[in-house]
Amino acid sequence: MNTIALVGNPNCGKTTLFNALTGSNQRVGNWPGVTVEKKEGSFKFKNQEYTVIDLPGTYSLGSFSEDEIVARNYIVNENPDVVINVVDATNIERNLYLTTQLLEMGAKVVVALNMIDEAEAKHIEIDIKKLSEKLGAPVIPTVASRKKGIENLISKAVELINKDVDYKAHISYGQNIDREIENIKKFLENKRLNYSPKWLAVKVLEGDKDILNMIKEKDEQTYNSLESIIKNDGFENRELEIVDKRYEFIHSITSAAVKKPKENVVTLTDKIDRIITHKYFGLPIFALIMYIVFQLTFAIGQDLLGGIIGTGLEILGEKIDSLLVSINAADWVISFVIDGIFGGVGTVVEFVPLILVLYTLMGLLEDSGYMARAAYVMDNLMRRLGLQGKSFISMIIGFGCNVPGVMSTRTLDSNKDRMIAILINPFMSCGARIPIYLVFISAFFPDKGGLVLFLLYALGIFVALVMAKIFSKTLFKGEASYFIMELPPYRIPTAENVLRNMWDNVSEFLKRAGTIIFAVVTILWILAMLPIGVEPYSQESILGQIGTVIAPIFKPAGYGTWQAAVGLFSGIAAKEAVVAILGMVYAGVEEGAELVKAIQSAFTPLSAVSFMVMTLLYTPCAATLGVIKKETNSYKWTLFSAVYSFAIAWILSVLTYQVGRLIGLS
Amino acid sequence: MLKDILKMIKKERYISKSKIAKELNTTEDVIEQAFSQLYNMGYINIQNSKECSELKCRGCAYASLCNKKVPLNTIIITEKGEKILNS
Repeated sequence: MNTIALVGNPNCGKTTLFNALTGSNQRVGNWPGVTVEKKEGSFKFKNQEYTVIDLPGTYSLGSFSEDEIVARNYIVNENPDVVINVVDATNIERNLYLTTQLLEMGAKVVVALNMIDEAEAKHIEIDIKKLSEKLGAPVIPTVASRKKGIENLISKAVELINKDVDYKAHISYGQNIDREIENIKKFLENKRLNYSPKWLAVKVLEGDKDILNMIKEKDEQTYNSLESIIKNDGFENRELEIVDKRYEFIHSITSAAVKKPKENVVTLTDKIDRIITHKYFGLPIFALIMYIVFQLTFAIGQDLLGGIIGTGLEILGEKIDSLLVSINAADWVISFVIDGIFGGVGTVVEFVPLILVLYTLMGLLEDSGYMARAAYVMDNLMRRLGLQGKSFISMIIGFGCNVPGVMSTRTLDSNKDRMIAILINPFMSCGARIPIYLVFISAFFPDKGGLVLFLLYALGIFVALVMAKIFSKTLFKGEASYFIMELPPYRIPTAENVLRNMWDNVSEFLKRAGTIIFAVVTILWILAMLPIGVEPYSQESILGQIGTVIAPIFKPAGYGTWQAAVGLFSGIAAKEAVVAILGMVYAGVEEGAELVKAIQSAFTPLSAVSFMVMTLLYTPCAATLGVIKKETNSYKWTLFSAVYSFAIAWILSVLTYQVGRLIGLS
Repeated sequence: MLKDILKMIKKERYISKSKIAKELNTTEDVIEQAFSQLYNMGYINIQNSKECSELKCRGCAYASLCNKKVPLNTIIITEKGEKILNS
């Protein structure tokens, strides 16, 4: 029985054609040794039965994927009587690459120019006769989905089976390579390798590992001789020249046989990008967009939704307090539940509406394709500063959480770039620090929330860039390596993606509040109650004593109280814990029921700004330090990261406070 | 064409496949294929921000906090690619 193989690019309508040819006479299995599906069927034409093999969809016949190798090996080893190459008429240039390779192999090829109706609808005019002439193979227009042209296709395929024809693409790879192909072809002609010597010669020059291994296995001496020929011929990058010539060949065919309507030269994406990624306007536009995001976060999250969870927690806290009193619960139980859980964890949870709005807006930017432009704009800035731009990817990741931010520096090629990216990543303000800013903004700058948040993020980026520049000039000297990025087209964000992104972040925030923050609060609550007999949350408690020891360090920065010191200290365990601990040691204990009011009594606007600068920049959390140790494999650099970031934070915090005082802001 | 693409990558500050396709008078699909070929032959390295290097998001405690959703493909011309551009 004669065999016909069907081969084509993915989504060219090959399987539809296979179904149209074979109807229900199909068998499905697997190609030996691989997981690629094998489909086989049969049909009758003029009382003669033919087997049809549906080969895996592939763009070329190289050796880079299982599909390519299966398709190629079948044609080369099984030598089907005819190959029907299904070509998508709407995407003819890409599809012809495979056609060219099939013709190079010396296979008997019939081109099924499928989806010709769609091509017509798109006003693509294809001169079938000319296409056939140029290719040197018959071309039959088909619409497999409507079984149009199938009869003609079968008839031509059967005609070819019985004809002794030599269809080969006459591609010239340039004088030098053509001569080399000829030399290798002659050398291989008597080697009994069961393949077309010319095709083998092309594959050898392309450096096809699969073919070279096959030759080595069959005849090591031939392989060695080929290696020597290639080594001494003086040509480099033959594989690129060969692929380029194939494209030239295809282009010459399509130029002569295919006419396409003129496309809109400037797309909407291009027009937007001209402004968004502009050399001078790009950065201010990015800053403006982020400013609007932060403003909206406060306008919607605080003004509209704010207070919902806070009020709910307050009512719940009062009810539980009454319940505990009514059942005569011990004082320490009431203190733990009300001051520890509600005062600590509850304070963090109150900020969920703001987090929810912020991540929804960020999701909109991400899904629209804008964040890739933002990354590009930042990369531009970094290049102008002579820095490796690629580390901004880890910086962007660091805005979510510094742990994956530090881990993602693995994508950087040089050690120098990697070390710099690791050391500057903690300056990217992670999501866990947001509640700290929100408490202080609510207390002192409720009308300028967006601006303050924006300035804090900008300060983090600025310090990161300055430190990167200093490191690249001092600790990690070396050449900067550059890269280029691909900007995807803009698209309308989908509700599903945006909401999923928001939920991922909010649920993680709540999960951490219920686990890590709860654990930290519990430990610090115990420290606030001990030693037994001491006034809880007083300076005499262990927690108070720890704070008292640390507090003088922060005096020049304007917040040298033991409570603020303990808050910062707990932030090394987890940044959200700062708010939880401030909630525990301030609210409901001395200054008032609500943390915001308590903060207003304990801080001034200037010391609040100074405190926010400190929390933005100081020592990374324990999880980030852990991952820095893992990634640098060095205690020295981990310690360096902890100490130098603290030093920078302290200096800038003190500067903020002292300069502010000097100009009369206090 | 592949050499032209390499030259454009070298020259441009960012890549848009539609822009390259227009300049080379071909389609975006062909450019997409050409990029795969340049990558397979070792002339360029393509890094997708969604594939977090060796990191596997499944099992990573920080996966949901990771800002990896930014769709970012970066392309670096390898030493082999640089060599052909300088030849």
